[in-house]
Amino acid sequence: MAEKSPDMGGKIGYVLLGATKAEGGTRSVSYHPGGETDLPFTGMKAWEGSVPLVAFEICDDPGYWSPIVTSYTGDLVSDTPEWARTAEKQYGADLVRLYLTSTKRRGFDDFPSITKVMEGVLSGTGLPLVVEGSNEPAIDSEVFQRCGEAGQGERLLLGTAEAGRYRSVAAAAMAYNHSVVAQSPIDINLAKQLNILLREIGLKADHMMIDPYTGSLGYGFEYSYSVMERIRYAALKGDTDLAMPMITSATDSLSVKEVRDAGPAVRDDIAVAWEFYAALSSAVAGSSIVCVRHPKTVPLLKQAFRELWAGKMPGEA
Amino acid sequence: MPTITFLPSYRKITVDPGNTILDAIQRAQIQMNVVCGGQGKCGKCIVFIKGGTVEFDREKFGKFFTADELGQGACLACQAVVRDDLHVMIPESSLIQQQKILMESLGIETAFQPSVWKYYVVLSPPTLEDPSPDLTRLVWGVQKQGGPLAEKMYAPLDVLRGMPRVLRDSGWRVTATLALVPGGYRIIDLEKGDTRPGLYGVAIDLGTTTVVASIRSLVDGHVVGIASNYNRQISCGEDILSRVNFARKNGLPKLQALAAESINLAITSAANGAGIDLEDIYEVVVAGNTIMTHILLGIDPAYMIEEPYVPVVRRYLTTSAPRLGIEVAKNASVFLFPAVSDFIGGDIIADILASGMGERDEISLLVDIGTNFEVVLGNRDWMFSCAGAAGPALEGGEVLFGMRANPGAIERITIDPVTLESEFQTINSIKPVGICGSGLIDLLADLLRACVVDRTGRINTGIVHPRIRQGTHYPEYVIAWKSESGNNKDIVITENDIKNLIMSKASVLAACITLMKEAGITRTELSTIYFSGAFGNYIHKENAIMIGLIPEVPIEQIKNIGNGAVEGANMALINRKKRKTLDEIAKNIAYIELNAEPSFMDEYTGSSFLPHTDLSLFPGVQKMLDECRLKKSPLGVP
Repeated sequence: MAEKSPDMGGKIGYVLLGATKAEGGTRSVSYHPGGETDLPFTGMKAWEGSVPLVAFEICDDPGYWSPIVTSYTGDLVSDTPEWARTAEKQYGADLVRLYLTSTKRRGFDDFPSITKVMEGVLSGTGLPLVVEGSNEPAIDSEVFQRCGEAGQGERLLLGTAEAGRYRSVAAAAMAYNHSVVAQSPIDINLAKQLNILLREIGLKADHMMIDPYTGSLGYGFEYSYSVMERIRYAALKGDTDLAMPMITSATDSLSVKEVRDAGPAVRDDIAVAWEFYAALSSAVAGSSIVCVRHPKTVPLLKQAFRELWAGKMPGEA
Repeated sequence: MPTITFLPSYRKITVDPGNTILDAIQRAQIQMNVVCGGQGKCGKCIVFIKGGTVEFDREKFGKFFTADELGQGACLACQAVVRDDLHVMIPESSLIQQQKILMESLGIETAFQPSVWKYYVVLSPPTLEDPSPDLTRLVWGVQKQGGPLAEKMYAPLDVLRGMPRVLRDSGWRVTATLALVPGGYRIIDLEKGDTRPGLYGVAIDLGTTTVVASIRSLVDGHVVGIASNYNRQISCGEDILSRVNFARKNGLPKLQALAAESINLAITSAANGAGIDLEDIYEVVVAGNTIMTHILLGIDPAYMIEEPYVPVVRRYLTTSAPRLGIEVAKNASVFLFPAVSDFIGGDIIADILASGMGERDEISLLVDIGTNFEVVLGNRDWMFSCAGAAGPALEGGEVLFGMRANPGAIERITIDPVTLESEFQTINSIKPVGICGSGLIDLLADLLRACVVDRTGRINTGIVHPRIRQGTHYPEYVIAWKSESGNNKDIVITENDIKNLIMSKASVLAACITLMKEAGITRTELSTIYFSGAFGNYIHKENAIMIGLIPEVPIEQIKNIGNGAVEGANMALINRKKRKTLDEIAKNIAYIELNAEPSFMDEYTGSSFLPHTDLSLFPGVQKMLDECRLKKSPLGVP
């Protein structure tokens, strides 16, 4: 590997995800993504930052989930806490990302159910959680308050803040000391704008992760890649409004044409391959957390990261 | 043939069936507000059918009207086809109104070196002993009066034809008007008696929207009259692209005639105001954008609006007034400013001349904002320029209650950062009916200061206040209540209006920054920012910086050159030496094609924020914003 490139002066900030007992929570592990001073794979060491983490995505209403995943997984998907536990114990994920898809139902107003789901998943797994709240401005405030409250002390990563709707999620994060996923549509300037907006309403930089928005491999991923590279360059050159670790999701992969059109015999393999390569590429572009949905993708990614990142394991010093 | 009666004036006109109401309106010479050129896109040419029926697609164009308006027979004049006799009510709001136009330009000293002169001569009549021809007598007489050498002067045929009568009828006492032309002097007029004081020239700013004429005495150089009016081409489309499209559809002769007519109207009204005879105007200098200049010359502008955007001519041109239809002295010459490109025209060269930036060592930035904007950066040694579309938002277009600077437009506004109440001032101090560009800039700056909008321009609907509410389509801020407005409506600004405004200002700022980066210049190296055009005179400079319309420099370094086009044309009129430098200036300006500049899009997104994503470019604004936030709780979550 090449010599370490000249020091650009900047450093990616750390974000605390999950809180162990010592940190005031109940998680069995916590992570500190961030800390990079260079682009991935350009230094003497594989990477100065942490090894990329693999988040496994689940939801509380599988009716909104990819049939590839639900048919592979079976009845488990109807039991959200058990699904979370399986992600940890069986698939070997580093984090669980919970989508509150139940809030997509028309006229959703069963807010107490959110607290219940949150409590169930928090007891089902000891892993740190990423929680994706509603996607509907009318209920955002209530949903995010419930998530934030249920996860108080657990240092959740709450999503998703966008330029058009960021106040509710940021308010909940600030009230209960969680972090926020800040997503913008594949553009360095828009990413920066959103981070500034969040900063200006009082969210600290060490409570934000950037989701640059990643298309699937072969379906626009190259744009995401170059934007991620530019975001990282800007941060390393000292732009503190972009110096946050990144989180990416490869889940569009499950709906690309090649996967949809694949025969039943090979569909899972193709889906896994597509997720794997998209997630791996995101990690190479600088993503600290990659999110996937197919159970078989998780161990493959873990192995790839372990080998590429020179044997360092998540959570190790 | 159907007869159309226009209300409230009861003007009548007959047209062939199948014409639109707009055709009839134009034939009746009613000055209607046609922003899109009759494409049914802008919804400004609203009329009400009060009698008879028309063909009009209410489904398709329904979005421009309220149910109430439709009930009263509202339709778009450009889309309503006449079949039978009609009574058509034209509301005041659909007419072009008297606009506030900048008349005062700031004077820069320049040498008085005109290119036309008058000589009064008293000649001895010919005799058998001295049978020299009339012309020989005249040129010798002029030379004796201190004029040019006799052999350098010549007379065109029409002057020669009139010469024997004028000389003899006047008892050999005549005034000859001479014009400097390549290779010598042309006698362009011969008048009886002493008419030396009657020597004038006119400087014209031929704008897409307005035409300004400024008449100067060429005996001593002082301004004697100035007047302006709308460019009559507006009836063929408001923006320049609609004009070119009109020209493409065999409309060039009409546009050319309207350009000349607009100039004639401005000259006539300036001349009448000063008590001057049009026949005494011997020289015309025109500064206009490249497309307007082409149209005035009757040259097809079509190839300038399509790739690779090529004008027919870039150099300065001279021709005679009658050939263009300009009604002044019949042998008067017309001087037309050169252009840099199809987008940087003679008006900008005139701006540069008026600002004097091309004669100094210090670096200046010149910004000319209209529907299109032009930016020039540089000094005596080098210059970069670029142009782009700012969109109509800064002039009040694409904004729900946006309007031109007409009576009733809110031109100044402040918002109390604590109570969020507004305080405003309208043109002519009448009840407000809308808001014009300078008001919009004030408004946006104060909404930002008051934390009503965030830095992307989104309205914080979490703030509980009667003025902040969810409108029909977008969140909005109420500027003036129905009870205080002049149109019986709440005057509001919507989040969508703000978005359009930000898009407009972002393109100007991104262009400035792109040029500065191209030249390796930082904002601290800018000695002056010049605003050209009326716009610059009316806006609050602090607010223009607050929203990031231009790069931040100390306020005292921002100067308005007023109507730079007419000022520059004036300089060329009274100082012929300046004209020679124009081609040189134009040739030395590098034109940066923003579309071909990969970094422009980045700059644009960075600038689509208030004032910019990079606050280090706006240290003063950053300080101000921090202070504003200290006073407020910005989160505003209910």
